[in-house]
Amino acid sequence: MSAVPGNRLELPSKGRDTARIALTTVFVVLFGWSAMSVELKWARLWTAPADMYRLFKVMFGDLPWDELGKMTGLMWDSIAMAWVGTLMAAVVAVPLAFLAAENLVGRPIAWVTRQVFNVLRAVPEVILALLFIPVFGLTPMAGVLAIGVGSIGSLGKLFYEIIENIKPGPIEATDAVGASAIQRLRWGVLPQVAPELTSFLLYRFEINIRASSVLGIVGAGGIGGTLADSFSFKAYGSAGLALIVVIVGTIAVDTISGAIRRRIVSGRSVDIGDSAKYAVDTGGMS
Amino acid sequence: MTATVTPSSSSERLRLPNKPKPSPFAIGLGLLIVVFTVMCARRVGFSAAGLIENLQRPNPVLDGLLNTRWGEMFSARSRSAFLETLQMAVLGTTAGVIVSLPLALWSTEVGNPYVVPRLILRSINNVIRSIPDLVWAGLFVLGTGIGVLSGLLALFFFSLAVMVKLTADTLDGLDMGPVEAANAAGAPHTQMLRTAVVPQILPAFASYALYDLELNLRASAVLGLVGAGGIGVRIRFFQNRGQWDKLWGLVVMFFLVVFVVEFVSVRIRRRLV
Repeated sequence: MSAVPGNRLELPSKGRDTARIALTTVFVVLFGWSAMSVELKWARLWTAPADMYRLFKVMFGDLPWDELGKMTGLMWDSIAMAWVGTLMAAVVAVPLAFLAAENLVGRPIAWVTRQVFNVLRAVPEVILALLFIPVFGLTPMAGVLAIGVGSIGSLGKLFYEIIENIKPGPIEATDAVGASAIQRLRWGVLPQVAPELTSFLLYRFEINIRASSVLGIVGAGGIGGTLADSFSFKAYGSAGLALIVVIVGTIAVDTISGAIRRRIVSGRSVDIGDSAKYAVDTGGMS
Repeated sequence: MTATVTPSSSSERLRLPNKPKPSPFAIGLGLLIVVFTVMCARRVGFSAAGLIENLQRPNPVLDGLLNTRWGEMFSARSRSAFLETLQMAVLGTTAGVIVSLPLALWSTEVGNPYVVPRLILRSINNVIRSIPDLVWAGLFVLGTGIGVLSGLLALFFFSLAVMVKLTADTLDGLDMGPVEAANAAGAPHTQMLRTAVVPQILPAFASYALYDLELNLRASAVLGLVGAGGIGVRIRFFQNRGQWDKLWGLVVMFFLVVFVVEFVSVRIRRRLV
């Protein structure tokens, strides 16, 4: 490595990034302040593992398997809430996403639509559920709406990012043959974005399952209600069983939906007959 | 794309290429989705007419939103609840981020050459990830009692799930060149990780950490609903007494805080990546 003896190579000096140092300082100070002033007896942290171990022993030591049917039904409720809510969000989010894509509409319109998404994205589903419960009562519909409204923001954001990344070619082609605005969306944009839109829809569904299984804690239907009740009545066995059902249900849906998503995005090889012959004919023109 | 072509000989018309038939997968998926949707809609009792009718009924919560008590944002109790939420988010995120790096390394091939421990770690992470944040909070409230500690532990596990998943995915797309170079130079495993792997993922990792802070801040608002400290305790209090005007004052204030944090965080993340 060293080239000439007697003439030592010097390492290049390391760059100094002031912004990085400032940021690190800010975070260290923030962390220090939080750790010092938080109202917490840190000694309790050491007894926490023992406490949790005792809790797990009573929760999973004696599981009431006869309640399994009821629990599965409630988990199924949660899954149904998540799916209907996700679909509802998509129905609203797709048209809005077109309005938020800068390559389809002007900048001002896109900006306004994006702010709507940002506000909706910031509201946790549980807070939305509080809003809908007085209207719909303690029913799954309150949960469906909470999930539906809560997902519009994030679905819309993902959707317009996909739409902004499309290739301009097909749009130019539809413009060149004199397509109307609707036809342009139908033939120039939609075929390009459909696989990714579907994939994100399923991904959001996976996220929403987690949300919908806790909405019951505030009373909006699904398995969360049972979980919260068994917590507050100290019915540890039921709580343990409900927890197991939530975990198994979530992982099962994740697995199935993940497999479908991979298949959608990877696509398949398409046999379009003997079009290769015609590609030669048109080749010189395009 | 396919422009009209004048055929060389007038009698021979060009035929359009065959349209591809929809694959069995697409048809099956379409059917499955329709059936599943109908089943789900019946399960939750969904009806568009009922939806519209219900939404037209008087809504005390919405009235509260229109008459928001802005003063509630600045009362001494709300302020201390806010600080508590912020502290919980910072501490929970930091702890989760620190622990997640080694766990992410151990759950990928480059950091852990043994298959069985890797699989065990990945399945544990899947289980952690499938438990929602509020359930974590409920569990810890039961185990360790009401208060900040339970919220902190909940955020820790929640961060762990998010960070390990995102980091492990980044590690899967690692450039193996530096790793080979480090191995060729005879670096032990830890040195290889320190010099060839960590520097590669550090910008993405820092960006995920900030993202996780945003998530945790938002989550810590609702953790209090089950008694795990922070602003949620106040929200629950106002909800139980039906003081929706005050509740909305809190919620709006909370959004402002989340917005500011997100704004700053997005700027920093853009610089990082």
